Amino acid sequence: MALAPPRVARSRPPEVETAARAQRTRRRPRPGGPFARERRRLFVPFVGPALLLYLVLFVAPIGGAVWISLHKWPGSGPMQWRGLRNYRRLMHDHLFLTSLTNTLKLLLVVGAAIFVISFALTVVLRDMAGKRGARAVLLFPFLINPIVFGVLAGFIFNPGGLANSLLHGIGIHDTPNWLDRDNMFPLIMVTMTWMTLGYFTTILMAGVDRIPAYYFEDCELAGANAWQRLRYVVLPLTWDVFAVCAVLWTVTSVKIFEIIWIFGGANGSGTPPTQTWTSAVYSYVTAFSGESIPAYGDATASAIISLLLVSVLVVLLRRVMRRDAIHF
Amino acid sequence: MVVRMRTRRLGRTVLAASLAVALAGLAACSSSSSGSGDKSLTYWSMWKVGEPAQKVMATAIADFQKETGIKVDVQWQGRTNVDKLVPALNTRKVPDLVDQSYIKLYSVLVASSQVRGLPDAYADKVDGATAVSGLVPARYTKNIDITLDGGERWMVPYLLTSDGIWYDKSQHPDIASNPPKTWTEFITLLDKLKAAGGPAPIALDGDITGYNPYWFNTLMERILGPGSWMKIVSDKSGDAWDDPGVLDAAKKVEQLAKGHYFINGYGASKWPAQQQAWASHKASLLFMGSWAPTETGTYAAKGFQYASFPFPATASGRMSARADFIGFAVPKKAKNSSAAQQLAAFLMSKKYQQAFGAEAKQLPVRSDVTVAPDLADVQKALNSAPETYQQNDGVAFPGYNEKVFWPVDDDLVLGKISAEEFVHKLKDATVEYWKQQS
Repeated sequence: MALAPPRVARSRPPEVETAARAQRTRRRPRPGGPFARERRRLFVPFVGPALLLYLVLFVAPIGGAVWISLHKWPGSGPMQWRGLRNYRRLMHDHLFLTSLTNTLKLLLVVGAAIFVISFALTVVLRDMAGKRGARAVLLFPFLINPIVFGVLAGFIFNPGGLANSLLHGIGIHDTPNWLDRDNMFPLIMVTMTWMTLGYFTTILMAGVDRIPAYYFEDCELAGANAWQRLRYVVLPLTWDVFAVCAVLWTVTSVKIFEIIWIFGGANGSGTPPTQTWTSAVYSYVTAFSGESIPAYGDATASAIISLLLVSVLVVLLRRVMRRDAIHF
Repeated sequence: MVVRMRTRRLGRTVLAASLAVALAGLAACSSSSSGSGDKSLTYWSMWKVGEPAQKVMATAIADFQKETGIKVDVQWQGRTNVDKLVPALNTRKVPDLVDQSYIKLYSVLVASSQVRGLPDAYADKVDGATAVSGLVPARYTKNIDITLDGGERWMVPYLLTSDGIWYDKSQHPDIASNPPKTWTEFITLLDKLKAAGGPAPIALDGDITGYNPYWFNTLMERILGPGSWMKIVSDKSGDAWDDPGVLDAAKKVEQLAKGHYFINGYGASKWPAQQQAWASHKASLLFMGSWAPTETGTYAAKGFQYASFPFPATASGRMSARADFIGFAVPKKAKNSSAAQQLAAFLMSKKYQQAFGAEAKQLPVRSDVTVAPDLADVQKALNSAPETYQQNDGVAFPGYNEKVFWPVDDDLVLGKISAEEFVHKLKDATVEYWKQQS
């Protein structure tokens, strides 16, 4: 029975929680003791600066963005009140909905691909010869600026690029239109997976390395295969790491921008093909489109929707993935 | 106690420093010798260090500093300078002078009423003789409205951009001696080039959404004339789209796409792959702005002789030329506006206009200067055209080009939809656009 998934009861049952709260409210005079007093005294000086910075640098700009999103505004000069009409318009804008769908595709499809492959890799990487080298190689694409991949895409996939030259070499002349607008987004998804894979594999591997060796020895003795090892040891014991990675990916995926901008031929003039737009690209084009009057109201409204989306997703994810930390 | 001491000391330092600054400011004002009173100005340039036009601009600025004693703080920001200007306009640190294309400056400065009229610049006498107002040809300002409500002009244009169908004269002497003048002749030429089996007839970087509309927009100028596209797009009811001229223009673009005149893979390549292919003789023609020689010069085949002919006329017989302004504007909040206007006027002097034309291969606004041989054809076409028009026919409604027009136009140019579908889709999308805007 050594392989049963470790289950840990919640450390604080709900009734204890309410009791604690009741006790807190009942005791009006603050708990004494020089230590607690000192601690309270230091609370403001310690937390204050960070809180202030956070308020000034994050909360205030978000508040400003919400305010702008309720107006029609070309970026400077007088604002014109529009209320929620910018939001309503976005909800009817096919292009915005496509962009949002693309963002979700990156989040869910690429996210699933990354984590499936990462976990598969953790199984292989743990006891592979030359695993340090392999990890470094895996992480390498993450260290490169996404712009390089965008530029590289041209070298590889242009009609006279590397991919077609290789295909011509082996006698295939009816080569696909790699960079056709309709193929571009799938290509971006593959590139994104490849780029980010190493990063999450590295983090997950750090979690796997923490697992005491005797669990794996136990697996050997019980004759568990790779899947069982993953299912009963690796997954439960790296769950907290995985949960953090999932949140990180959610936040990252909603902000994906440069790779699409460069992949889509916007390095000349103009904007990438609309088939590849994400909500971040949508916001940018709306605010800095270049050849039409900037619409900051719409741009910030779309950014606020993205922010709400990411917040809801992170809260949901945290709830779904909540397990108590396992100490071992 | 220590803290309080330190605060007091800091306060004193700040006070002293601000006094010093104030005094310095007063001193600067009182000792000013130039008429304007400004001793310096900040200029955010659209040119990047190393570009031929930047070199001309840098020389001009050095001369300006020597002549006037006004110090110019230049930031060579490149084409994104107005993107950076938008957030700056909400602060107190605003540049005194910026330059860009009309459409960009209009979108950012005029649409937000953040621009200043430039009466001093226009009154300034250049080369000791002519006022700037007499140097900007009226035929251009007829189509490009650079006046504010009060009647003052807000832009000093110093360069023009136009376009043409480019080719290598050394490879195609026949085109040089007899360029196609009508659409029929143009298609005949394309068929001849295609039948020859060598290079593709036309190169096009179809991934640049801003390039694809050149074809449809120019056909609209030929068929219905300057101002027609603006009128059709502005029609909120959508009825204007039923004008047969719109379908005619779309059909001609469809003819090019379906006729396989564009280079292979033009819809699945990354800029500048196709214009590179053109510059290395893998395609014969390139419909591009007047910047084509500067942009492709570095990778053009040996002995490449840039030449161009104007976009052919259609059955309507209308001829016109694209003329867009690149020029200076001064933000409303600029602190050294008169120095900025002085510099803008200074650039209109013949010496620098000539240098822009000859050395930087740009089209100067002044009509009395000669340009580099590469641009001679474009300049000739521009000067002889009876009418001029703006890029996109001046359409710059928020998001219309990027979100409504270009995606549908891309499908037409890339041969994914028919001309009828194009008109139908765009009409619906435009009506929907206006419904959402109201």
